[in-house]
Amino acid sequence: MAMAQESEISLISEELPLRANLSVLENIAIVPQYRQNMAYDQAADQAWSLLVGLNRSECAFKRDPDLSREERFVAKLLRAVIRSPSIIIIDRPALLLPDTHYPPFVEATLAALDDKINECWIVDYTWNEPLYAPR
Amino acid sequence: MPGMDPIIDALTRRGAAQLAWLRGWRGFGRFAAVAIVESLTPATYNSATRSVVQKQIYFTAWQILPTFTLFSAVLSFVLIQIVVDAARNYGFAQHALEASVRILVLEILPLLTALFVGLRSGAAINTEVALMVVHNEMKALADSGVDPMRFEFIPRVIGGVISVLALTAVASALALVLAYIAVYGFQVWSLSEFNRVMGNIFDIPAIALLWAKVLAFGLAVTVIPISEGLAAPPAKLFFVPISVLRGMVRLFFVLMLVEVISLVLKYI
Repeated sequence: MAMAQESEISLISEELPLRANLSVLENIAIVPQYRQNMAYDQAADQAWSLLVGLNRSECAFKRDPDLSREERFVAKLLRAVIRSPSIIIIDRPALLLPDTHYPPFVEATLAALDDKINECWIVDYTWNEPLYAPR
Repeated sequence: MPGMDPIIDALTRRGAAQLAWLRGWRGFGRFAAVAIVESLTPATYNSATRSVVQKQIYFTAWQILPTFTLFSAVLSFVLIQIVVDAARNYGFAQHALEASVRILVLEILPLLTALFVGLRSGAAINTEVALMVVHNEMKALADSGVDPMRFEFIPRVIGGVISVLALTAVASALALVLAYIAVYGFQVWSLSEFNRVMGNIFDIPAIALLWAKVLAFGLAVTVIPISEGLAAPPAKLFFVPISVLRGMVRLFFVLMLVEVISLVLKYI
């Protein structure tokens, strides 16, 4: 299996779920715990501060089936962010957030994480282009 | 020839089934080799994998310890009483202790522990790994820079092996105490005689064989469910029960095979 760490690209996709038997906090914390051999408490503190930064601490101890779509998106995004990859790719956000007016939601979430993200690409269908604010 | 078509179809189906069966064994062999090498590699052990090992030991051994201890104590007591009474009735009471310890500690308890752990944790591991494959969770972990082999699977094998070793040790120690009580009663004056008999039973080859057997049991109860779960096709949820069924059948045959091989090595 090609490890994404080699390419330093993280993908946020409907097809890449959270680990079902871990809480949101553990899903995020597991990345520094595994990659940097960080103690769980320290990794969990990092994950917690990311969740607090997005006002999502209430979902920290929920597992995947108990999450709303927005919480699941945030959890997947933070799992990618904590790894500090060169590029984060959000693949078709409409699939991740089908009940949300997603361009402003994604924009606001990314803005709140601005100092923690190197570069973020949103991949969407061309017919959804009018949904996004002009850059 | 039109008349040959049903035969060709039947042979093709049979051949495909045989190939799938062989692929299952190949997957098991390959994963077992990787698991052994990875578990001996220091790089495998980090904060995340250690926590998975701890969780595995907790769920596989610690959580079931009271129930398992009680069950193995009752079973051991009943079997010891049967062996001791039979030995006395047939006039070889002096061999009652040796016979009961050989039957229980060397044969029944390790197999029973492996079956207990296999039915409880092996089935759960098989289901979880198959669901991971079906839901694409392995690719998601890899995308996060976490190697699923090192993070999810190898720690389970290590935890499973430690759990089987620990539970077998607990059950065996308890059986030795019960065997002493059944043969000598509640007194300590026969400890030297008891130690002499234990020395006869547990010589170096017997201990080595017991260790090898329990280690093989420990590997089997985790490696087979994981390799069978990994063989599940992605995005096909209906395959999960089939995967567990195959895993449990394969596990049963491997456990019996290990037991038979150990008996052959010991007694033939």
